[in-house]
Amino acid sequence: MDSEVGTGPLTEGGGPIAEGGGARTRRSFLRWLGGLTIVSTAAMILTPIVGFLIPTSGSRAAGGGKILVGTTAEIPAGAGKVVAMGSKPAIVVSTDQGVNAFSAICTHLGCVVNWNDMIGAIHCPCHDGRFNPTTGAVMSGPPPAPLAPITVSVEGDQIFLTEA
Amino acid sequence: MHQHVTARRRALRLGAILALAGGAWFALAFSASAESPSPSADAAGSPSPSASAPTVPTPGPSDTGWMFETPAPIDQVPLATAPPLPPLVVHPDGAGVNGCYDCHSAVNNKQAAITAEWESSAHGQAAVTCAACHGGDPGTDQIGKAMDRAIGYIGAPGRMETVGLCGSCHANVARMRTSGLPTDQYAQYWSSVHGQLLVTENDTRVAVCTDCHGAHDVRKVSDPKSKVFATNVPALCASCHSDARRMEPYGIPTDQLDVYSASVHGVALLENNDTRAPSCTSCHGSHDAQPPTSTNVVEVCGQCHTATQELYEQSRHSELKAAAPKCWTCHGTHDVSKASSALFFHPETPDYTCTTCHDLTTHTLRLELSRFENEADRRCDSCHHPDSQIYAQIEGISDAVVSAEAAYEEADQTIQEAARLGMITADAEVALMGAKTSLIQAQAAVHTTSLTKIAALSTDAKTKSEAAMALATAKVDENVFRRQAMIIVLAFILLSVAFLVITKRRLDRELEEG
Amino acid sequence: MAANPPVETGERPSGWLDQRTRLGPVIRASLHVRIPMSARTYYFGGIALFLFGIQVVTGTLLALYYKPTPEAAYESVQFITSDVSFGWLIRSMHHWAANLMVLFVGLHLVRVFMQAAYKYPRELTWVLGCLLLLVTLGFGFTGYLLPWDQRAYWATVVGTEIAGGVPIVGETLLLLLRGGPDVTGDTMSRFFGIHVLVLPLMLAGLLAAHLLLVHQLGLANPRRPEPRVATPESRQERLRPFFPHYLIDELVAWYVILAILVVLASLFPVGLEGPANPLETPAHTKPEWYYLGVFELLKLVPIKVVGIMIPVVGIGLLVVWPFLDRSPEVLIRRRKVVVGGATLVIIALLALTVLGFVS
Repeated sequence: MDSEVGTGPLTEGGGPIAEGGGARTRRSFLRWLGGLTIVSTAAMILTPIVGFLIPTSGSRAAGGGKILVGTTAEIPAGAGKVVAMGSKPAIVVSTDQGVNAFSAICTHLGCVVNWNDMIGAIHCPCHDGRFNPTTGAVMSGPPPAPLAPITVSVEGDQIFLTEA
Repeated sequence: MHQHVTARRRALRLGAILALAGGAWFALAFSASAESPSPSADAAGSPSPSASAPTVPTPGPSDTGWMFETPAPIDQVPLATAPPLPPLVVHPDGAGVNGCYDCHSAVNNKQAAITAEWESSAHGQAAVTCAACHGGDPGTDQIGKAMDRAIGYIGAPGRMETVGLCGSCHANVARMRTSGLPTDQYAQYWSSVHGQLLVTENDTRVAVCTDCHGAHDVRKVSDPKSKVFATNVPALCASCHSDARRMEPYGIPTDQLDVYSASVHGVALLENNDTRAPSCTSCHGSHDAQPPTSTNVVEVCGQCHTATQELYEQSRHSELKAAAPKCWTCHGTHDVSKASSALFFHPETPDYTCTTCHDLTTHTLRLELSRFENEADRRCDSCHHPDSQIYAQIEGISDAVVSAEAAYEEADQTIQEAARLGMITADAEVALMGAKTSLIQAQAAVHTTSLTKIAALSTDAKTKSEAAMALATAKVDENVFRRQAMIIVLAFILLSVAFLVITKRRLDRELEEG
Repeated sequence: MAANPPVETGERPSGWLDQRTRLGPVIRASLHVRIPMSARTYYFGGIALFLFGIQVVTGTLLALYYKPTPEAAYESVQFITSDVSFGWLIRSMHHWAANLMVLFVGLHLVRVFMQAAYKYPRELTWVLGCLLLLVTLGFGFTGYLLPWDQRAYWATVVGTEIAGGVPIVGETLLLLLRGGPDVTGDTMSRFFGIHVLVLPLMLAGLLAAHLLLVHQLGLANPRRPEPRVATPESRQERLRPFFPHYLIDELVAWYVILAILVVLASLFPVGLEGPANPLETPAHTKPEWYYLGVFELLKLVPIKVVGIMIPVVGIGLLVVWPFLDRSPEVLIRRRKVVVGGATLVIIALLALTVLGFVS
């Protein structure tokens, strides 16, 4: 292994200098190379570690647990709203039976569903798929499966979604 | 008055028979319905008093016949009078004994096969016995007595009689109540092309009940083994309609199954087993089988494509009524394929003649059906001339949709590229989902023919695609940076290794010397 | 790794420090390992040690952001990989170093076996080494679940299923591993605790003992057996200084491995599949490559118990091997049966692994 890795840089770097300036130049070159080894190794190790430790000022939370998506004043009974849950859209629907939340990704072609006041149901604008606001079940249209439910909790007037 | 009493007595006698067969509740329900004259009977306009029990048809002396309220008159062809609904087959009650089955299941293999078919059929499961269709006396083991025509033994009914025989039960509201089945098939059948040919021309080659449902092996429509189960319907219809010899007298094409099987609908139903996809009967009807005409095709397609129908009805096209381009003008009929922006224009401008779109005698617009038979001709510029103002508008619509599609496609490609490089693309994918929602809406909005609506949605789709694209590009760039950084790090490692190797050589030399 | 420029720091501080610590003799003693000129280690053991160091550093960093609950784990791993600066690098390094560590521990074992370095007086070093291999495999197994994506989840379902097939204790073992009848959040808590507490402590302890024995006994001479009583010949054997000569070689090997890791992490960063979904089994449920051979064996052997007992008995044999093979011979040409048998086992294991990849 040594001969494979070593011979190249050695003869190229060491050869001409040794010829010109003798042992002294050679030693100072070696010292310089040694310093570079230590500094570059330390930099290589410390840069990612320090970078990793600096908290990210990203808009996205580190994920997990409960996410505050709004208040009951924003989503009164009979209304619904698409919110961001982590990186994915979710729809929060408030009915007389309480607050429910579902994945806002239509099971048909992956469009983002919305709340339709006129029909009082979750509605996909792409192909008129309609979903039951309390169960997420398909009421009509082409979606092959119900919307996936998301756990909701209401604390005071704040609505939280829990990732699962 | 006399007729009335007779009818009532007959009805009551029948009710009693049914009570024995089906239970006391049934009899109560029936007599209740017999007592109160149905308003629908009055609507039928029959002066016959027998109409007081309309669901139990009586071959009363007057026998005025059964007038049908046909469904929406199709093609303005007056429907021939449907034949009267025959009475239920009357036969002695076997008192729990099914003598027919006992003999026929043992007499020979062919007969045993028939009894086995019946046993596993919907009728066999619902205890509708042989005599319900064939008459005769199931209560005896004497062949002469059991199959005595004098007591009403029917034997194998002819094709002409089959529809009436099935209808005698299946159009009987009281009889069907417990089974929860509809009772309008009999009426629908006579309105179909099949029924019309049968009743007006005595053409017994047409499909009758047993051709589709089977005779002894009638199965429920929900039974996947049934010939009328959704995925089996195309093959069932094709068993006659793809037979060139059989269809020859009627002069209709026989390639529908092949064309349909290759269509989006056919692939969805037959290959993906998606029973929500339409089969023949979804558009043509089953018992009331008819080709939908150009005027009602929008409603037929709109049964499923509700959102598209709504958009179409907002369009200038739909205002044209009869001369309006319809669903099939652009998408075809049996050969519906995936729509794309290729549907806007011919690759090269087609030849136009005045008669393409105009009726020269009445100076009105007209829709020439034959012009759209070929898939390659179902384009906007089949009608709209390049010099027209509308053509320029179509170009605007086409540009908006095509550029939105291109932006979406580009973003999608870049995301895939980033994912291939091992980057996590979840946020870009979610952003693209929003773009897709707008893009699909923009594509669907083409049916409104409104440039402003389409352009607004297309712009929205484009903006969202570009946002997703930016996220994906950042990831691809990040990956390029990583590779560059990797090369620098490798160079430093190489230098360090060089230093260590030189040092080691020196140490080795010292070891040798010392 | 960071504490390894010993070339410069060896001499100078000892004067001042030595007066205050009196550790000079200990350090000098620890820098003296008996290394015969003819010893060839191929750096496998040292590389495994270096990789463990990388795992400690990257693992500690990952633990700062990772959240070990089923609700949050996936998102937190995604956050580390795509949002935290150098998160992708740290996570990919941890992933690839884990794979290389299993590989190099395995190579180290093969090297020691082939050179008969497990024979007198190094039997205990061998036993400790085998335990270190098991702990390393345990690290791989428990760490694999933590991202909580589909691949992680189902590989764990399949893996624990295998443990459940062990006769008599299997069912209990399965319950113990999963913390319940199914792979759930309880399993994750368990695996996390084992991965970041139990196994590191075990590995550190075993490693210290292993290295201490290596230090005390020195490296084996692959040309002649260790004499029970020192002979003049053995005393005259030419030795190589551990420090700095042997260590510099070792350092070069470490740099090369670091370069390989950087290339792997940059060109093949570790990804993340969809979040774990217990209701949807993916088509390609396969364990990690180092379990693939055993996995394939289980599929091929018709009787499940036999299939599971083969590796269990195999590992047992491996651990006690120095006590079974009592011949003092070290040269391969005088150990044809043992070396031939071992080669066959290795080929079979490789063949099964390849079969597992293609099937």
